[in-house]
Amino acid sequence: MSERAGARYAVGDRVRVRPGDPDHHTRAPRYVRGHAGEIVARLGEWALPDASAAGIIAPETCYAVRFAAADLFGGGEHTVTVDLWESYLDRA
Amino acid sequence: MGGQTGFGAVPAGDDGSAGFGADWEAHVYALAAVLRQRGLFNSDELRDAIERLPPAEYLGTSYWARWLAAIETLVAEKGLA
Repeated sequence: MSERAGARYAVGDRVRVRPGDPDHHTRAPRYVRGHAGEIVARLGEWALPDASAAGIIAPETCYAVRFAAADLFGGGEHTVTVDLWESYLDRA
Repeated sequence: MGGQTGFGAVPAGDDGSAGFGADWEAHVYALAAVLRQRGLFNSDELRDAIERLPPAEYLGTSYWARWLAAIETLVAEKGLA
């Protein structure tokens, strides 16, 4: 695990998961697409699953992103933290 | 599809673990592990092949049957069979 100097987001940044339904494999769960959350950790660089599903190893920074359960599911006092690759995210 | 609305709960054993329901399921897991270790495919290629199953087959088969179907897909696509 390494950390690229050019990682786009820092802990505390607000990000929004890109919406849409790609026609290839992805590890961005549907239940977070289009939702905004907060970066709680940078996890280093890992092969982007969307590319490695096609046999291409393309590492990029992965982040732990925390969401309010109420935002995702319409209820609940807890939070949900999901590991998401940089290209799944836009600044919120 | 356990946990999805209309599909009931996630099946689990008495100790709460999912485990294997039959020997063949463990064999499928072992087969995938060996093929992955030998570089025939990576985990994301396996997941992708599972997701490319025809929707009716995906919904109508068990978790490990999907793994087996995906292994068969990858072995055929990569010209190993």
